[in-house]
Amino acid sequence: MVSKEEIMKIAILSKLFVADDEIDKLTKDMGEIISFADTINNAADEGVEFDNINNLSNAFREDEVVPSYDREKILKNAKDQDDGCFLVKNIMK
Amino acid sequence: MKYELVAGFETHVELSTNTKIFCSCTTAFGGEPNTHCCPICIGLPGTLPKLNKKVVEYAIRAGLATNCEIAEISKMDRKNYCYPDLPKAYQISQYDKPLCEHGYIALSNGRKIRILRIHIEEDAGKLVHRRGDTLVDYNRGGVPLIEIVTEPDFRSVDEAKEYVEKLQNIMRYIGVSDCKMQEGSMRCDVNISVRPEGSEKLGTRTEIKNMNSITFIAKAMEYEYSRQVDLIESGEKVIQETLRYDDVTNTTSGMRGKEDANDYRYFRDPDLVTITVPRSYVEEIKESLPELPEAKKERYVSELGLPESDAILLTKYRKVAEYYEKASEGTKNPKTAANFIIGQIFRSVETESEKEEFNVSVSAENLNELIMMLDSGKIKMNLAKSTLDKMLETGKKATELISESDMGGLDDSVLNDLCRQAVENNPKAVSDYIAGKEKAVKAMVGFVMKNSRGKADAALAEQKIIEIIKNA
Repeated sequence: MVSKEEIMKIAILSKLFVADDEIDKLTKDMGEIISFADTINNAADEGVEFDNINNLSNAFREDEVVPSYDREKILKNAKDQDDGCFLVKNIMK
Repeated sequence: MKYELVAGFETHVELSTNTKIFCSCTTAFGGEPNTHCCPICIGLPGTLPKLNKKVVEYAIRAGLATNCEIAEISKMDRKNYCYPDLPKAYQISQYDKPLCEHGYIALSNGRKIRILRIHIEEDAGKLVHRRGDTLVDYNRGGVPLIEIVTEPDFRSVDEAKEYVEKLQNIMRYIGVSDCKMQEGSMRCDVNISVRPEGSEKLGTRTEIKNMNSITFIAKAMEYEYSRQVDLIESGEKVIQETLRYDDVTNTTSGMRGKEDANDYRYFRDPDLVTITVPRSYVEEIKESLPELPEAKKERYVSELGLPESDAILLTKYRKVAEYYEKASEGTKNPKTAANFIIGQIFRSVETESEKEEFNVSVSAENLNELIMMLDSGKIKMNLAKSTLDKMLETGKKATELISESDMGGLDDSVLNDLCRQAVENNPKAVSDYIAGKEKAVKAMVGFVMKNSRGKADAALAEQKIIEIIKNA
């Protein structure tokens, strides 16, 4: 099961603010999600390669340059921009 | 108590492919911000990465050149962390199935630095921090990297320096990277711990991130070693942390609390299919690898009979070695070309990067022609040397600078005359010589050389002058 401490740790790593009165409910919900996901452990998996079920390999691209996008297009969806760059809030503390 | 340094390296090397690892944007260094970008490398939703074949090839080359085993099956994983230099909030890297494993690089003291793994991954974008905000340029985002991870096998700063230099030379020889540390195409993270000498147990380690010069690496390691020894001596503990080295103050300082491996939540990238590497492909790459600097150096010594110091200078850069091999081809003595290159041609290339490029005004073919003239006795060593200087200056061929009349040295009677004149015109040198100053004869040889415009055989002239003085 999931502990409250684990929920808080994940919240900090995800940069999410979790209010005190939300912790119990979140812990319960996360526990249920994880135990649901755990059902896959009961499946018969002998000899089954789960991480390559489509059996594909080596979809490569040749090393040939294609012109990049115009900068206006690249920055079009940026929330903020300056000097041809994406502008974000200062992340250095 | 005596302490031992224990260090391991993680080196990021930017591969010199034309395009990025998962899209067809150029990898060219610099450029206006965000002009080498497309929806894939800025991580827009709905895009799909497609792996550059050359990246796999180059990583295998690097693996083979460092004695690694090449995986038959490999895959890409997502390494999750939230920072604006990664537009997707994850870096596509390799976790548990890297392309290359279990290699080594041998050091000159006989020790081997084991290479744990080499994996491929994408580089992050560049951040410029300003007061209050941060500018993000994704030109570098998605440029292919290999990360070369060693075991904690380093026991001294000198070993670390030699390793970085060797690694740099090998990567350049096999053509997978220019390894320009100042441009960031080669960057080192160093894990350092100390332990009482003789102890088997590893001490708590710190990691110094992102160093881009061999001098800084050496200084940072020295500083960090004494800092840790001081801590232990004064009864304190070394804290496991990530450090930044400041080259101005020559100190290290903490960056951030290190997240454990689990916190990166590695999982397979479902957008990229498995990489399978047929053994025949590995063989093909092995065949195409050039002779590596270490093997070349040994061959120059054992087969060509060059002194080791010459062999080291000639093999350090691939272009110098190629030049030497062309220039000495078919000549009588392998040492002749080596002497010309080390003695005269190296004077025209000063910096390390100039040696790396080795764009000299005398082509290897032209030097070879000069040596052939020397070997066949058409010209003497003095003339060859002065001609080479002129060739370096003018870029002309030896045959353009040496006239027919210069060749074949001097007629014996002309040489006799010149020697006689030398004695007559230098009474002071003659008396000095008679008084026992053997070096005085050099002045008279100089006279002969000057008046024969370098055509005379200096050794023969010296012999004749001494004879004349003795018989007088």
